Amino acid sequence: MPTYVYAITDAGHPLRLDGITGVGDPAAELRTVRTKQLSAVVSDAPADLRAKRRDLLAHQNVQERLLADGPALPMRFGLVGPDDAQVASVLEEQRDAYAERLKEIDGCLEYNLKVARDEDDLLREVMAESADIRRLNERTRDNPAAHDDRLALGELVSQQVQARQDRMGTELVDRLTPAAERTALAEPTKTHFLNVSFLVKREKAGAFSEAVHQEAEQRGEAYTFHLNGPLPPYSFV
Amino acid sequence: MSVVQQSNAPNSSSGGGSGNLYDVLELILDRGLVIDAFVRVSLVGIEILKIDVRVVVASVDTYLRFAEACNRLDLESGRKAPSQLTDLVGEVTEGGAKGKSKGALTGAIEAFSDSFQKGQESEPEEEERPARKSSASSKRRTAHRREE
Repeated sequence: MPTYVYAITDAGHPLRLDGITGVGDPAAELRTVRTKQLSAVVSDAPADLRAKRRDLLAHQNVQERLLADGPALPMRFGLVGPDDAQVASVLEEQRDAYAERLKEIDGCLEYNLKVARDEDDLLREVMAESADIRRLNERTRDNPAAHDDRLALGELVSQQVQARQDRMGTELVDRLTPAAERTALAEPTKTHFLNVSFLVKREKAGAFSEAVHQEAEQRGEAYTFHLNGPLPPYSFV
Repeated sequence: MSVVQQSNAPNSSSGGGSGNLYDVLELILDRGLVIDAFVRVSLVGIEILKIDVRVVVASVDTYLRFAEACNRLDLESGRKAPSQLTDLVGEVTEGGAKGKSKGALTGAIEAFSDSFQKGQESEPEEEERPARKSSASSKRRTAHRREE
Protein backbone atom coordinates (compact mmCIF):
# COMPACT_ATOMS: atom_id res chain seq x y z
CA MET A 1 0.00 0.00 0.00
CA PRO A 2 1.54 3.38 -1.03
CA THR A 3 2.28 5.81 1.78
CA TYR A 4 1.27 9.46 1.78
CA VAL A 5 3.78 11.68 3.61
CA TYR A 6 2.64 14.81 5.47
CA ALA A 7 5.62 16.05 7.41
CA ILE A 8 8.96 15.21 8.97
CA THR A 9 9.89 16.07 12.53
CA ASP A 10 12.68 15.22 14.90
CA ALA A 11 12.22 12.17 17.12
CA GLY A 12 11.47 14.28 20.17
CA HIS A 13 8.34 15.88 18.70
CA PRO A 14 5.24 14.84 20.69
CA LEU A 15 3.26 14.13 17.48
CA ARG A 16 -0.17 14.71 18.96
CA LEU A 17 -2.34 13.39 16.17
CA ASP A 18 -5.47 12.63 18.17
CA GLY A 19 -8.66 14.02 16.69
CA ILE A 20 -7.29 14.79 13.24
CA THR A 21 -7.33 12.61 10.15
CA GLY A 22 -5.57 12.38 6.83
CA VAL A 23 -6.42 12.70 3.15
CA GLY A 24 -8.98 10.59 1.32
CA ASP A 25 -12.62 9.67 1.67
CA PRO A 26 -13.12 8.08 4.11
CA ALA A 27 -10.30 10.00 5.76
CA ALA A 28 -7.17 7.93 6.21
CA GLU A 29 -5.88 7.30 9.70
CA LEU A 30 -2.64 9.07 10.53
CA ARG A 31 0.34 7.12 11.78
CA THR A 32 4.03 7.69 12.21
CA VAL A 33 7.19 6.19 10.76
CA ARG A 34 10.05 6.53 13.21
CA THR A 35 13.78 6.26 12.99
CA LYS A 36 16.26 6.94 15.75
CA GLN A 37 16.47 10.68 15.04
CA LEU A 38 13.45 11.55 12.92
CA SER A 39 9.75 10.83 12.55
CA ALA A 40 7.45 11.13 9.58
CA VAL A 41 3.70 11.58 9.80
CA VAL A 42 2.08 9.41 7.14
CA SER A 43 -1.11 7.61 6.17
CA ASP A 44 -2.25 5.20 3.51
CA ALA A 45 -2.44 7.00 0.16
CA PRO A 46 -5.90 6.89 -1.39
CA ALA A 47 -5.83 5.48 -4.91
CA ASP A 48 -7.73 8.38 -6.47
CA LEU A 49 -6.15 11.30 -4.62
CA ARG A 50 -6.81 14.73 -6.12
CA ALA A 51 -6.41 18.25 -4.79
CA LYS A 52 -9.85 18.41 -3.26
CA ARG A 53 -10.65 20.97 -0.64
CA ARG A 54 -11.13 18.25 1.96
CA ASP A 55 -7.72 16.73 1.20
CA LEU A 56 -5.88 20.04 1.15
CA LEU A 57 -7.45 20.90 4.47
CA ALA A 58 -6.43 17.56 5.95
CA HIS A 59 -2.86 18.14 4.78
CA GLN A 60 -2.86 21.66 6.18
CA ASN A 61 -4.41 20.61 9.49
CA VAL A 62 -1.62 18.13 10.11
CA GLN A 63 0.94 20.90 9.56
CA GLU A 64 -0.78 23.30 11.91
CA ARG A 65 -1.13 20.70 14.61
CA LEU A 66 2.55 19.75 14.40
CA LEU A 67 3.69 23.35 14.23
CA ALA A 68 2.11 24.04 17.60
CA ASP A 69 4.47 21.63 19.37
CA GLY A 70 7.78 22.04 17.59
CA PRO A 71 9.53 22.27 14.26
CA ALA A 72 8.15 20.16 11.42
CA LEU A 73 9.09 20.09 7.74
CA PRO A 74 5.85 20.33 5.75
CA MET A 75 5.79 18.18 2.63
CA ARG A 76 4.33 19.45 -0.61
CA PHE A 77 0.78 18.23 -1.10
CA GLY A 78 0.45 14.88 -2.85
CA LEU A 79 3.78 13.26 -2.07
CA VAL A 80 3.53 9.47 -2.09
CA GLY A 81 6.14 6.81 -1.42
CA PRO A 82 5.97 3.08 -2.12
CA ASP A 83 5.51 2.02 1.53
CA ASP A 84 6.42 2.84 5.15
CA ALA A 85 9.74 1.02 4.90
CA GLN A 86 10.82 3.27 2.03
CA VAL A 87 9.87 6.34 4.04
CA ALA A 88 12.00 5.07 6.90
CA SER A 89 14.97 4.52 4.62
CA VAL A 90 14.67 8.05 3.20
CA LEU A 91 14.61 9.41 6.76
CA GLU A 92 17.76 7.45 7.42
CA GLU A 93 19.53 8.48 4.20
CA GLN A 94 18.65 12.17 4.48
CA ARG A 95 19.02 12.26 8.24
CA ASP A 96 21.60 15.03 8.39
CA ALA A 97 19.96 17.24 5.78
CA TYR A 98 16.55 17.02 7.46
CA ALA A 99 18.01 17.59 10.93
CA GLU A 100 19.75 20.68 9.60
CA ARG A 101 16.56 22.08 8.11
CA LEU A 102 14.59 21.35 11.23
CA LYS A 103 17.13 23.36 13.17
CA GLU A 104 16.81 26.26 10.73
CA ILE A 105 13.05 26.54 11.12
CA ASP A 106 12.93 25.80 14.84
CA GLY A 107 10.76 28.40 16.54
CA CYS A 108 9.90 30.06 13.22
CA LEU A 109 6.69 30.72 11.33
CA GLU A 110 6.00 31.69 7.74
CA TYR A 111 4.15 34.85 6.79
CA ASN A 112 3.11 35.33 3.20
CA LEU A 113 2.64 38.88 2.00
CA LYS A 114 0.94 39.88 -1.21
CA VAL A 115 0.80 43.50 -2.23
CA ALA A 116 -1.32 45.03 -4.95
CA ARG A 117 -1.54 48.57 -6.17
CA ASP A 118 -4.57 50.08 -7.77
CA GLU A 119 -3.83 49.99 -11.49
CA ASP A 120 -5.23 53.40 -12.38
CA ASP A 121 -3.17 54.95 -9.63
CA LEU A 122 -0.03 53.41 -11.08
CA LEU A 123 -0.97 54.37 -14.64
CA ARG A 124 -1.51 57.98 -13.57
CA GLU A 125 1.97 58.04 -12.11
CA VAL A 126 3.45 56.49 -15.25
CA MET A 127 1.71 59.03 -17.42
CA ALA A 128 2.61 61.98 -15.26
CA GLU A 129 6.28 61.16 -15.62
CA SER A 130 6.57 60.49 -19.33
CA ALA A 131 5.86 63.03 -22.05
CA ASP A 132 6.12 60.28 -24.70
CA ILE A 133 3.42 58.29 -23.05
CA ARG A 134 1.16 61.31 -22.68
CA ARG A 135 1.61 62.18 -26.36
CA LEU A 136 0.84 58.64 -27.50
CA ASN A 137 -2.11 58.52 -25.17
CA GLU A 138 -3.64 61.67 -26.59
CA ARG A 139 -2.98 60.58 -30.16
CA THR A 140 -4.61 57.19 -29.69
CA ARG A 141 -7.53 58.57 -27.74
CA ASP A 142 -8.35 61.01 -30.52
CA ASN A 143 -7.70 58.51 -33.27
CA PRO A 144 -8.98 55.00 -32.61
CA ALA A 145 -7.51 53.73 -35.89
CA ALA A 146 -3.90 54.42 -34.84
CA HIS A 147 -3.14 50.79 -34.17
CA ASP A 148 0.65 51.06 -34.21
CA ASP A 149 0.61 53.99 -31.83
CA ARG A 150 -1.69 52.07 -29.60
CA LEU A 151 0.71 49.13 -29.46
CA ALA A 152 3.65 51.45 -28.90
CA LEU A 153 1.80 53.14 -26.06
CA GLY A 154 0.89 49.80 -24.51
CA GLU A 155 4.43 48.54 -24.75
CA LEU A 156 5.93 51.66 -23.19
CA VAL A 157 3.39 51.62 -20.41
CA SER A 158 3.88 47.92 -19.85
CA GLN A 159 7.64 48.41 -19.47
CA GLN A 160 7.12 51.27 -17.06
CA VAL A 161 4.60 49.31 -15.04
CA GLN A 162 6.95 46.37 -14.85
CA ALA A 163 9.92 48.48 -13.86
CA ARG A 164 7.99 50.35 -11.20
CA GLN A 165 6.47 47.22 -9.77
CA ASP A 166 9.88 45.57 -9.59
CA ARG A 167 11.27 48.61 -7.85
CA MET A 168 8.38 48.85 -5.38
CA GLY A 169 8.66 45.14 -4.67
CA THR A 170 12.39 45.31 -4.01
CA GLU A 171 11.93 48.34 -1.80
CA LEU A 172 9.23 46.72 0.28
CA VAL A 173 11.18 43.48 0.70
CA ASP A 174 14.31 45.41 1.69
CA ARG A 175 12.41 47.31 4.33
CA LEU A 176 10.74 44.25 5.83
CA THR A 177 13.69 41.86 5.63
CA PRO A 178 15.33 43.11 8.85
CA ALA A 179 12.23 41.98 10.77
CA ALA A 180 12.54 38.41 9.45
CA GLU A 181 15.03 35.56 9.52
CA ARG A 182 14.78 34.73 5.83
CA THR A 183 12.74 35.71 2.81
CA ALA A 184 11.53 33.75 -0.20
CA LEU A 185 10.28 35.60 -3.24
CA ALA A 186 7.56 33.92 -5.24
CA GLU A 187 6.07 34.66 -8.64
CA PRO A 188 3.89 37.74 -8.63
CA THR A 189 0.25 37.10 -9.45
CA LYS A 190 -1.81 38.95 -12.00
CA THR A 191 -3.29 41.01 -9.18
CA HIS A 192 -0.31 41.35 -6.85
CA PHE A 193 3.00 42.77 -7.97
CA LEU A 194 4.66 41.36 -4.88
CA ASN A 195 4.31 37.86 -3.51
CA VAL A 196 6.86 37.09 -0.84
CA SER A 197 7.18 34.85 2.17
CA PHE A 198 9.06 35.67 5.34
CA LEU A 199 10.39 33.28 7.94
CA VAL A 200 9.81 34.94 11.28
CA LYS A 201 10.77 33.94 14.79
CA ARG A 202 7.70 33.19 16.85
CA GLU A 203 8.54 35.79 19.45
CA LYS A 204 9.07 38.42 16.77
CA ALA A 205 5.81 37.75 14.97
CA GLY A 206 4.07 40.72 16.57
CA ALA A 207 6.86 43.10 15.62
CA PHE A 208 6.89 41.76 12.08
CA SER A 209 3.17 42.23 11.67
CA GLU A 210 3.53 45.73 13.05
CA ALA A 211 6.26 46.48 10.50
CA VAL A 212 3.94 45.37 7.69
CA HIS A 213 1.15 47.56 9.01
CA GLN A 214 3.45 50.56 9.20
CA GLU A 215 4.63 49.97 5.67
CA ALA A 216 1.03 49.74 4.49
CA GLU A 217 0.17 52.96 6.26
CA GLN A 218 2.96 54.81 4.52
CA ARG A 219 2.04 53.52 1.08
CA GLY A 220 -1.40 54.98 1.10
CA GLU A 221 -4.84 54.05 -0.03
CA ALA A 222 -3.99 52.78 -3.50
CA TYR A 223 -2.18 49.75 -2.09
CA THR A 224 -3.66 46.59 -0.70
CA PHE A 225 -1.51 44.51 1.62
CA HIS A 226 -2.58 40.97 2.22
CA LEU A 227 -0.68 39.33 5.05
CA ASN A 228 -1.29 35.67 5.67
CA GLY A 229 0.12 33.88 8.68
CA PRO A 230 1.32 32.36 10.85
CA LEU A 231 1.74 29.41 8.51
CA PRO A 232 3.82 26.26 8.44
CA PRO A 233 7.16 27.17 6.83
CA TYR A 234 6.32 25.72 3.42
CA SER A 235 8.62 28.12 1.60
CA PHE A 236 11.67 27.48 3.76
CA VAL A 237 12.24 23.75 3.65
CA MET B 1 -3.79 54.31 4.94
CA SER B 2 -3.99 51.23 2.84
CA VAL B 3 -5.76 48.07 3.77
CA VAL B 4 -3.97 45.27 5.54
CA GLN B 5 -5.93 42.10 5.50
CA GLN B 6 -4.45 39.61 7.86
CA SER B 7 -5.70 36.09 7.70
CA ASN B 8 -4.96 33.23 9.98
CA ALA B 9 -4.15 35.55 12.82
CA PRO B 10 -2.76 34.04 16.01
CA ASN B 11 -5.25 32.39 18.41
CA SER B 12 -7.20 30.93 15.54
CA SER B 13 -5.04 27.85 15.39
CA SER B 14 -7.59 25.43 16.77
CA GLY B 15 -9.47 23.84 13.94
CA GLY B 16 -6.87 24.86 11.41
CA GLY B 17 -6.83 27.55 8.79
CA SER B 18 -9.93 26.50 6.95
CA GLY B 19 -10.96 30.11 6.53
CA ASN B 20 -8.02 30.96 4.33
CA LEU B 21 -7.43 27.83 2.32
CA TYR B 22 -7.50 29.73 -0.94
CA ASP B 23 -4.70 31.96 0.25
CA VAL B 24 -2.41 29.10 1.15
CA LEU B 25 -3.25 27.02 -1.91
CA GLU B 26 -0.08 27.95 -3.77
CA LEU B 27 2.03 27.18 -0.71
CA ILE B 28 0.49 23.76 -0.14
CA LEU B 29 0.65 22.80 -3.80
CA ASP B 30 3.84 24.45 -4.90
CA ARG B 31 6.20 24.69 -1.94
CA GLY B 32 6.94 22.33 0.86
CA LEU B 33 9.48 19.58 0.96
CA VAL B 34 9.65 16.91 -1.72
CA ILE B 35 11.46 13.60 -1.68
CA ASP B 36 13.08 13.04 -5.04
CA ALA B 37 12.64 9.31 -5.10
CA PHE B 38 8.91 9.55 -4.37
CA VAL B 39 6.16 10.36 -6.82
CA ARG B 40 3.88 13.28 -6.62
CA VAL B 41 0.28 12.47 -7.30
CA SER B 42 -0.60 13.89 -10.68
CA LEU B 43 -2.95 16.74 -9.99
CA VAL B 44 -4.95 17.77 -13.01
CA GLY B 45 -5.30 21.51 -13.28
CA ILE B 46 -2.45 22.42 -10.98
CA GLU B 47 -0.18 23.44 -13.84
CA ILE B 48 -2.24 26.50 -14.64
CA LEU B 49 -1.19 28.03 -11.36
CA LYS B 50 2.33 28.19 -12.67
CA ILE B 51 1.86 30.28 -15.79
CA ASP B 52 4.71 32.76 -15.97
CA VAL B 53 3.13 36.12 -15.34
CA ARG B 54 5.96 37.85 -17.12
CA VAL B 55 5.14 36.10 -20.36
CA VAL B 56 1.58 37.30 -20.05
CA VAL B 57 2.74 40.84 -19.40
CA ALA B 58 4.83 41.06 -22.58
CA SER B 59 2.08 40.29 -25.03
CA VAL B 60 0.12 42.24 -27.60
CA ASP B 61 -3.05 41.67 -25.61
CA THR B 62 -1.46 43.25 -22.58
CA TYR B 63 -0.21 46.23 -24.60
CA LEU B 64 -3.66 46.85 -25.99
CA ARG B 65 -5.20 46.54 -22.59
CA PHE B 66 -2.76 49.05 -21.08
CA ALA B 67 -3.34 51.43 -23.98
CA GLU B 68 -7.06 51.22 -23.45
CA ALA B 69 -6.69 51.73 -19.70
CA CYS B 70 -4.59 54.83 -20.30
CA ASN B 71 -7.04 56.25 -22.82
CA ARG B 72 -9.79 55.75 -20.31
CA LEU B 73 -8.03 57.44 -17.42
CA ASP B 74 -9.37 60.80 -16.54
CA LEU B 75 -6.15 62.69 -16.85
CA GLU B 76 -7.49 66.01 -15.70
CA SER B 77 -8.69 64.71 -12.38
CA GLY B 78 -5.50 62.73 -12.07
CA ARG B 79 -3.51 65.94 -12.24
CA LYS B 80 -5.36 67.51 -9.38
CA ALA B 81 -3.73 67.89 -6.04
CA PRO B 82 -2.57 64.64 -4.49
CA SER B 83 -4.96 65.19 -1.59
CA GLN B 84 -7.83 64.48 -3.93
CA LEU B 85 -6.28 61.38 -5.32
CA THR B 86 -7.51 59.14 -2.56
CA ASP B 87 -11.12 59.92 -3.33
CA LEU B 88 -10.54 59.06 -6.94
CA VAL B 89 -9.07 55.71 -6.06
CA GLY B 90 -12.15 54.79 -4.11
CA GLU B 91 -14.30 55.56 -7.12
CA VAL B 92 -12.31 53.84 -9.82
CA THR B 93 -12.04 50.70 -7.80
CA GLU B 94 -15.74 50.24 -8.16
CA GLY B 95 -15.80 51.24 -11.78
CA GLY B 96 -15.65 48.98 -14.78
CA ALA B 97 -11.88 48.94 -14.98
CA LYS B 98 -11.40 45.88 -12.86
CA GLY B 99 -13.66 43.68 -14.87
CA LYS B 100 -12.03 44.63 -18.11
CA SER B 101 -8.55 44.35 -16.80
CA LYS B 102 -8.92 40.78 -15.71
CA GLY B 103 -6.10 38.97 -17.44
CA ALA B 104 -5.70 35.46 -18.66
CA LEU B 105 -3.91 34.34 -15.56
CA THR B 106 -6.46 35.61 -13.09
CA GLY B 107 -9.09 33.91 -15.18
CA ALA B 108 -7.21 30.66 -15.12
CA ILE B 109 -6.66 30.75 -11.40
CA GLU B 110 -10.29 31.57 -10.78
CA ALA B 111 -11.36 28.76 -13.05
CA PHE B 112 -9.15 26.45 -11.10
CA SER B 113 -10.43 27.82 -7.85
CA ASP B 114 -14.00 27.27 -8.98
CA SER B 115 -13.44 23.68 -9.89
CA PHE B 116 -11.48 23.31 -6.69
CA GLN B 117 -14.44 24.58 -4.72
CA LYS B 118 -16.81 22.32 -6.58
CA GLY B 119 -14.69 19.49 -5.32
CA GLN B 120 -15.51 20.36 -1.75
CA GLU B 121 -17.89 18.15 0.06
CA SER B 122 -20.09 18.65 3.06
CA GLU B 123 -18.56 22.02 3.82
CA PRO B 124 -21.39 24.39 4.57
CA GLU B 125 -19.39 27.57 4.80
CA GLU B 126 -17.97 29.14 1.69
CA GLU B 127 -15.43 31.42 3.20
CA GLU B 128 -12.84 31.30 0.47
CA ARG B 129 -12.94 33.97 -2.12
CA PRO B 130 -10.24 34.87 -4.55
CA ALA B 131 -8.02 37.48 -2.96
CA ARG B 132 -8.84 39.95 -5.69
CA LYS B 133 -12.50 40.00 -4.82
CA SER B 134 -11.99 40.32 -1.13
CA SER B 135 -9.58 43.18 -1.67
CA ALA B 136 -12.19 44.95 -3.72
CA SER B 137 -14.87 44.56 -1.12
CA SER B 138 -12.47 45.55 1.56
CA LYS B 139 -11.61 48.71 -0.33
CA ARG B 140 -15.24 49.50 -0.67
CA ARG B 141 -15.61 49.19 3.05
CA THR B 142 -12.72 51.53 3.55
CA ALA B 143 -14.16 54.01 1.10
CA HIS B 144 -17.42 53.81 2.90
CA ARG B 145 -15.83 54.40 6.26
CA ARG B 146 -14.14 57.47 4.96
CA GLU B 147 -17.40 58.95 3.83
CA GLU B 148 -18.93 58.56 7.24
